[in-house]
Amino acid sequence: MAALNDIANDFLKDEIEEFIERPNERTRIIDAFARATPAMQEISAALIDGDNGTVDTLTRAALDEGVEALEVMDDGLIAGMSVVGIKFRENFIFVPEVLACARAMKAGMAHIEPILSASGIEPVGTVIMGTVKGDLHDIGKNLCIMMLRGAGFVVHDLGVDTSEDEFMDAVEEHEAPLLGMSALLTTTMPNMGKTIDAFIDNDMREDVKIMVGGASVTQEFADDMGADGTAEDAVGCVELAQQLLQELKQEQEA
Amino acid sequence: MSGRPKRGTTDELWRDSAGRPPPLNSPMKKIDKAAYQERLDRITAIFKDMMAHATEQATYRCPYKNRFDECTARFGCRNQRKPREAGGLLVCGGDDKLDYRSAWETEEAPLDVSADPAGGSVTGGSVTDGTTTQPAVIGKSIFDYADDLAVQVPTSCFRNGICHECIVEIQQGMEGLAPRTKPESFLRENYRLACQARVIDPNVDVAFAPLRRTPKILTVTEEKETALDPVVSRRGDDIFYDGELVDQFRGHVYGLAIDLGTTTVVMDFVDLETGKSVHVCSFENPQRFGGSDVMHRISYDGAFEDELWNAIINAVNHEIMDWCERTGTVRQEIYEIVVAGNATMRDLFFRLDVQSIGQKPYKSQIENEYLAGERETTALTIGTRRLGLRANPKARVYGMPLIASHVGGDVAADLATVELAAQPGVSMLVDVGTNTEVVVAGNGRMITASCPAGPAFEGGGIQYGMPGYEGAIESLRWDDGRFAWSTIGGTAPQGICGSGLIDLLAELCRHGMMSPKGVFSDRKQFEVAVVAESGITLSRQDASNLAQAKAANYCGQYIVLRTFGVAPGDVDRLFLAGGFANYVDVRNAIDIGFLAPVPEDRIVKVGNAAVQGAREILLSRSRRAELEALVKDIEHIELETTPDFFEVFVEACQFKPMPGMLV
Repeated sequence: MAALNDIANDFLKDEIEEFIERPNERTRIIDAFARATPAMQEISAALIDGDNGTVDTLTRAALDEGVEALEVMDDGLIAGMSVVGIKFRENFIFVPEVLACARAMKAGMAHIEPILSASGIEPVGTVIMGTVKGDLHDIGKNLCIMMLRGAGFVVHDLGVDTSEDEFMDAVEEHEAPLLGMSALLTTTMPNMGKTIDAFIDNDMREDVKIMVGGASVTQEFADDMGADGTAEDAVGCVELAQQLLQELKQEQEA
Repeated sequence: MSGRPKRGTTDELWRDSAGRPPPLNSPMKKIDKAAYQERLDRITAIFKDMMAHATEQATYRCPYKNRFDECTARFGCRNQRKPREAGGLLVCGGDDKLDYRSAWETEEAPLDVSADPAGGSVTGGSVTDGTTTQPAVIGKSIFDYADDLAVQVPTSCFRNGICHECIVEIQQGMEGLAPRTKPESFLRENYRLACQARVIDPNVDVAFAPLRRTPKILTVTEEKETALDPVVSRRGDDIFYDGELVDQFRGHVYGLAIDLGTTTVVMDFVDLETGKSVHVCSFENPQRFGGSDVMHRISYDGAFEDELWNAIINAVNHEIMDWCERTGTVRQEIYEIVVAGNATMRDLFFRLDVQSIGQKPYKSQIENEYLAGERETTALTIGTRRLGLRANPKARVYGMPLIASHVGGDVAADLATVELAAQPGVSMLVDVGTNTEVVVAGNGRMITASCPAGPAFEGGGIQYGMPGYEGAIESLRWDDGRFAWSTIGGTAPQGICGSGLIDLLAELCRHGMMSPKGVFSDRKQFEVAVVAESGITLSRQDASNLAQAKAANYCGQYIVLRTFGVAPGDVDRLFLAGGFANYVDVRNAIDIGFLAPVPEDRIVKVGNAAVQGAREILLSRSRRAELEALVKDIEHIELETTPDFFEVFVEACQFKPMPGMLV
């Protein structure tokens, strides 16, 4: 069993000291970090700090140095993210901080993607995500993106206040089979339907499966506007994305 | 945040222990697909836990608020305050007591015109809360006016019509507002959601009032010494609920006693270790939009399930969080809540079906189960979490036992306070309210009845009637050709509350200005001026409504006494309880037949006995068990089934004393 001082990185030591209270978790996390190289510890620390720029540089550097991608994932990114999870659970940090950490993780994963394709591993799927025109709420959508990326999807985030053209351009550019739209205001919800209509008008509807979300979006509403599905939350979003991909594949084979 | 070591720079990491730079463009090693998938699964597992926590957290904390309580949202919000330093993020001024689940995923202020009040057309009409007035502007919502007029209206959905907390009563000018929106479809008559009701006609004068006004708090008169034996106890640092370990001591052990009246709610926060009350507050029952008496509430609840339940739970939570905030208490320190209310109020609070209480034989679901032998008692116990109450997650809510039909836990609480069963001779309890309850006890026998008096003495249906709020005339005297009066809070008179109405009726009769039948001396006269300079009057219609409400009180006392076989003069002690009981002039109440003619020196005003009783039950397990046993032996009379009820009622409608002998 490793001790706190077996960890080289002072930032990590402080984090553990300050935030990890449950003994079993503490032991497990100290063990994990003590095993990791100083470079991997650095990546974890930057991720916990939500510093995507540093995670980006450090991951690039580590891979260039010959560190294996799986080691970077295990000892750098996942180890760091497990600390983030505990801090969040214990209310030391909140959703905005979690999203910053997720963005940092994404910065690291971006360097691993080329290695995946070189290894013949295709992404689960590509998804275009955005909040519709006139709507600036993005937390729900961002949580969905975090979950989708975690499950191996490549996600292109168009952000908030996204026009129909921006959605169509992105789907075309990335040849994305999936589009996710979010709208939280009942006043902007109809813009999801309008975007779907625009896809039909431009003869693009057949190529893409469309998911819609937001608390006021019901299954009935999703059906009415001609979407392919909706989900209750971010976890459901991943399941829906997987299911729609499957459907699309079957349709294309048929 | 300061003092934390900085991470190493990239440059240091690029070098190994010997200081050599890393090899460039080293060959990529391939990744095994299964191994990669396993990593993804681990990430997904971590994220799933986070999503579950995020969902739970959104029930009390805005997800856009970061750990420094700054707002990360890219849209405007009324809680945003100026940054702590120039260029920084806006600071969140919201509090952590709102359910944000709907807020961060639903609509916000629509109608563009409201965004720019200056752009709206300003003309003759106005909007007022009764104190201050603002010009009526098309598109502006009542909630916007409430902000401008500094009127507190509760909300927890950012005014999106989701939470149904911002109900207001439109006292005037309904026609100047846009028709009800979809979120308001559960509201009737002149009730609206402040966030939805918008001005459409700027020429109309609109007057509105929020539903939760603060009544005069009846100071809890006697704090009786109760042997401390609460269900919640502390041993060292461990807190036990009935022997079960529920928490670690956080500094206090609190309980909450609630008197849940049809019109008024009183909450008493009690320190369970000292038995002392630490805070008492009181507010108008926000279920008013569902009708002013229990029968209307029952039919409303049948049509719009959960709306009344939501309203009362939100109001109680609001008071809990408000108290916590002001005193620095954490809500987890509240371990038990005791609720005393009539059958309908209690069961609405417990989210039970109340429909059977509204139909003959007026028995609640719980009473029916008890009578069928399916439960031991009509008392209820449930976890606070099940009802959405903000307290310790392991805390319980105890609903005081019902006696029979409408005679509920509030009367049980009264009995606990006055210890009616232990009194020598014949004793009597009269709890006046929207429903007045009567109990007569002696020689080991107890008889009770409930009289549906209605809200007239609490202001309902009386033009210048009002509950006991500031500005209500609480006492009146005919003095040298005019009325001398005094108001609650000593402010300008706005209306007359129950005790003032009793005085007024008695004085009018006494000085020949009104006959016992409620006809004014000048037969053509339809109203009498009470406070001429404030325009406060009493109309014949008012007198007639008061006569009927008074008659219900009379009938209850008369029939119960007669059934028991005693005359008013035989009563050794009469306990007068209820919201305005303490302010009632007993002489006047007897003279108009509001109260049985028991010799005045035997009448004891016990004020709000229900909340006191709830507190005693909160503090004593043995009293709780005794009461549960006691209520089982009380006989209940259904007034309307009494053969001569109608004759008694007609007699009772007259403003004159009840006879001393009952035949």
